[in-house]
Amino acid sequence: MKIARKTMKVEVPSMAMGDIAFNLLVFFVILARAQDDSALQWTPAKTERVESAGQSKVSIVLDKDEKLYVNGQPIGQSQLEGMVEKLLEGLPAGQRTVLLKIHNQAQANRFEPILEAVSKSGGELVHILEEQRPAAKP
Amino acid sequence: MPIRRKNNLLVEPPSAATGDIAFNLIVFFLVCASVQPDSGRKQNIPSSETVDSKQEQKDENIEVSLSRTTVSINGDPVKQDQFVPRLKAKLAGKPRPEDRVVVVKSKPETPYQFWIAVTTGIEEAGGVVTLQLEEERTVTVPD
Repeated sequence: MKIARKTMKVEVPSMAMGDIAFNLLVFFVILARAQDDSALQWTPAKTERVESAGQSKVSIVLDKDEKLYVNGQPIGQSQLEGMVEKLLEGLPAGQRTVLLKIHNQAQANRFEPILEAVSKSGGELVHILEEQRPAAKP
Repeated sequence: MPIRRKNNLLVEPPSAATGDIAFNLIVFFLVCASVQPDSGRKQNIPSSETVDSKQEQKDENIEVSLSRTTVSINGDPVKQDQFVPRLKAKLAGKPRPEDRVVVVKSKPETPYQFWIAVTTGIEEAGGVVTLQLEEERTVTVPD
């Protein structure tokens, strides 16, 4: 007597596909943010009036140890001008914004050459600062 | 003919995945909250070559010197609260932007916080900030 084999239908459960896709999305968003300069340590200088910096392709950080970074990558002062020029290549005026994130205690002999290099490379400087709210009068 | 009774049983949504949904929502909003737009101040600094080429005009420009805690206009020390009015008075009657150039000369130890405060004051007074950097020269000594 021939015994008939039981054929079982095996399907990949598709119930959790949406959850998996969402988790992957969140994972890659976090990964993309880890490549920027948010991990670098610097304290912004304070000023009374600030405006929105807008979008930028170049972000320069001079951290609390006075180390220089362009878009999160460490770089030497001598390479800065060429690097910024390369990143801004082909961009029209108005889109050549360079964000400058300089630690508030950085010294002039360190940050002034950075300003000059950005200016020479045709970048439009935007100092990233923190708004200082006026102290409440008693 | 028997009449079917309406099924009045309460149907509850499955609650097994509620924890996962809550966790995902927390992660999503945390990521969204951490993406804050940057804010700051635009600054237009003319390149140093342009400044050097106008040596005659440079002599007529107002010079602001900065040290670690002090500021002076054309060599005269000024209190920080009087800086903007004094500069405004010096720039009065100069409508052309090229006449309103203020040369900023900083000592090497000048902190960025102080530099920003002073250059903000210069722009507030209507001046155009220009940097004067100390040149580094390499001298080759012959053998």
